Amino acid sequence: MPTQKNVDLPDIGDFDAVDIIEVLVKVGDTVNENDSIITLETDKATMEIPAPFSGKVTSLSIKVGDKVVQGDLILTLESESETETDSEVETDSEVETDSEVETDASSDQSDNKVIDNSEATVTSTVSQDNIKQPEEVSLKTDSNSHASPSIRKLARELGVSLSRINGTGKKGRILEKDLKSFVKELVTHGNLNEEVETIPLSRIKKLSGKHLSNCWNTIPHVTQFDEVNIDQLEKFRKHQKEKNIKLSPLVFIMKAVVQVLKRHPNFNASLDEGGENLILKKYFNLGIAVDTPNGLLVPVVKDVSKKSLIELSEELADISLRAREGKLDSSEMKGAGFTISSLGGIGGTQFTPIINSPEVAILGVSRTQIKPIWNGNSFEPTAMIPLALSYDHRVIDGAEGARFMAELNQVLSNIMEMLL
Amino acid sequence: MIKTQVLVIGSGPGGYTAAFRAADLGKEVTLIERHESLGGVCLNVGCIPSKSLLHTAEVINETKHASELGITFSKPKIDLKGVIKNKDSIVNKLTGGIQALAKARKVKVINGYAKFLSKNQVTLDGTDEVIEFEQCVISVGSRVTKFPMFPFEDKRVMDSTDALLLDDIPKRMLVVGGGIIGLEMATIYDALGTEITIVELGSQIIPAADKDIVNPLFKKIKKNYANIFLNTKVTSMTALKKGIKVVFEGKDAPKSDTFDKVLVAVGRTPNGILIDADKAGVNFNENGFIETDKQMKTNVENIYAIGDVVGQPMLAHKAVHEAKVAAEVICGKKSGFDALTIPSVAYTDPEVAWTGKTEKELKEAGIEFKKGIFPWAASGRSLSIGRTEGVSKSLFDSKSGKILGMGICGTNAGDLIAEASLAIEMGCDMSDIALTIHAHPTLSETTAFAAEMAEGTITDLMPPRKRK
Repeated sequence: MPTQKNVDLPDIGDFDAVDIIEVLVKVGDTVNENDSIITLETDKATMEIPAPFSGKVTSLSIKVGDKVVQGDLILTLESESETETDSEVETDSEVETDSEVETDASSDQSDNKVIDNSEATVTSTVSQDNIKQPEEVSLKTDSNSHASPSIRKLARELGVSLSRINGTGKKGRILEKDLKSFVKELVTHGNLNEEVETIPLSRIKKLSGKHLSNCWNTIPHVTQFDEVNIDQLEKFRKHQKEKNIKLSPLVFIMKAVVQVLKRHPNFNASLDEGGENLILKKYFNLGIAVDTPNGLLVPVVKDVSKKSLIELSEELADISLRAREGKLDSSEMKGAGFTISSLGGIGGTQFTPIINSPEVAILGVSRTQIKPIWNGNSFEPTAMIPLALSYDHRVIDGAEGARFMAELNQVLSNIMEMLL
Repeated sequence: MIKTQVLVIGSGPGGYTAAFRAADLGKEVTLIERHESLGGVCLNVGCIPSKSLLHTAEVINETKHASELGITFSKPKIDLKGVIKNKDSIVNKLTGGIQALAKARKVKVINGYAKFLSKNQVTLDGTDEVIEFEQCVISVGSRVTKFPMFPFEDKRVMDSTDALLLDDIPKRMLVVGGGIIGLEMATIYDALGTEITIVELGSQIIPAADKDIVNPLFKKIKKNYANIFLNTKVTSMTALKKGIKVVFEGKDAPKSDTFDKVLVAVGRTPNGILIDADKAGVNFNENGFIETDKQMKTNVENIYAIGDVVGQPMLAHKAVHEAKVAAEVICGKKSGFDALTIPSVAYTDPEVAWTGKTEKELKEAGIEFKKGIFPWAASGRSLSIGRTEGVSKSLFDSKSGKILGMGICGTNAGDLIAEASLAIEMGCDMSDIALTIHAHPTLSETTAFAAEMAEGTITDLMPPRKRK
């Protein structure tokens, strides 16, 4: 006889209750050990929970939207056994009647959730609607946007889909003036061919948005700019690359930042809530801002001072990948003392990063450019990387900020100093 | 070689409309027609001649019932030649009119049978003439489907074209197919004195329309005609010396019967394939119709198709609307076919007409609706013209009250249905129609009455629901 085993929610970190945003299996599915069974979303990340062992799903105890805590029953798995033929049929028919409704409902909801959370899905759904609607709108009997043939003709000529217009005529009828004011609106805003649509922000954006505006509103920001000659660094990188060791400029910047943080402990600190005490951190954990399909995430690389460039490189690749896949553990996004945001891979000459409170400083990195630099005799083509340091002026004054930047420049442009 | 900007193949209502509209918008247009006279099936062997003969039938029928009005006519003498002459003169007047309009617009008319050579060329069949075009509108219509089981080679087995020639007045005629064409021809022959039998495969005559709308007509012809066999199949037809022997399969029909003439009025086949449209790369669907988008464009960029050749309903007024769309799109206008309704009319006696959704369509689609039915027995005008049969039914959205469809059976139903079509296009509500003052006494009042029946505001009858 096959045996039934319960699968409970494992330890997922210090959360009270987290939302289930996706149920990846349904009754009757066979799962292998470590296959993802559900997706959870906390305020910091989404994570997939793997099956602890293989088996066939015989019942589901949760659905999309449920809040779960450690130890909650998720589902029951029937472990495989050789003599299944008879009993399998029985079990199937027993469970399915009851739970199918639930499964259906939950998969519906998960569809909605997917739309909520993935911008890509939203856009494609909406654009499909836009294609279909013009044909259907007139045939729908409950449509509140009737338009007479002459208005439909005008709309065709103007290239406007009537489904986008709210009629102001009797019973929501679309009038010529509605069409005209709609077009006028588009013309004034200069996006005649662009459709307007409202889509909800992703959960991550909603949460990080609140946090970011709080940081921006409460911290008096000062941003110090500089450009660093990284010819030496680039030469070294190239040399390593020939040996098939790929190092990004970011890991050098991380190393250099830690070097300078050691000399300026005020930058590796946080301000307490009352704004009266500075909490200095004796460890060197750096937050690295990562762009993911759902929004900005800041995983933390711990103990940067103790790791080699190669180790840092590997760790960076790993956390960025997992951040994009939504597989970061929330503990991996905590405990930074200082944050680096690099947009160098995308472009731009400079930007002003927002400090990730309660931290007190953040370094923004833009794209390296070859610039003519005067070496005393002539202009020399030189790789210059733009840096922007935003700091909390309540904690750090201007001279200190400038000194930090100058020293960072010094270390980065003479990479041997990293050894000091 | 002839070169033209726009080539229109087929000069039926769709074809000449497309040609004229394109010419009016500045294009140089060539129109090819295989027959001598312009106008296609509609003008030559369809709508117009049949309506002329139906008018003849109406006059005969009026005189039959004149005694009820206190006037007695002697039995009419029917001079078939005179009837045909009148019909032909109407047809000639109209086709000649089109010829003149083509000339006035400098549309070049070519007589011949076009066949595609490529996506830019047609040839005239049987000649070396090649016509090169930039853009083309295919409007070659449809033809009667000649099912091989019917012995059409015998002159007594007719299609609608043959029947309109009115070679003689048969004593007993069978009409195969209880659709619009069959019933109209039955009306004509019945008035001329033929004993009519109708056989229909479906469970009602005019299967597309709602049964209650067809019922007044059905009741009337059931009484006048020898037989109407519903749910009945014709399994074979043999030409014998004494007549056409027809074998039936159906509950109410006899095993077989012999008729002097048989009119087969079942099915029309689109003509797209006859002009080698496939050689231009034009796609057909499984039913032989050319596929187009809402701008009447086929899959070949410069080739458009309109009318019967692109699909049902095979109606001249649909073709005309599509023709304007095609011509305007060709001339760079942002036209499109977005009509909400295409009305259908059977010019029987009484007429049957419907527009928008039928009740059965609404039921099938699960749309909740309110209906208002007004029987013409309560219409002063209808009674004054000696007609007690007839019904107007309007269908409204239960939630919004918007008109969804209408069906009318009665004198001039075909003309009366226009108001409902306009109402649908304009998105009128039940109350819009009920509150529009309709002249009294008219048949058009029945449309307002039907809306009042749905609203419960009727006073000419007892309202079916609680009064508002």
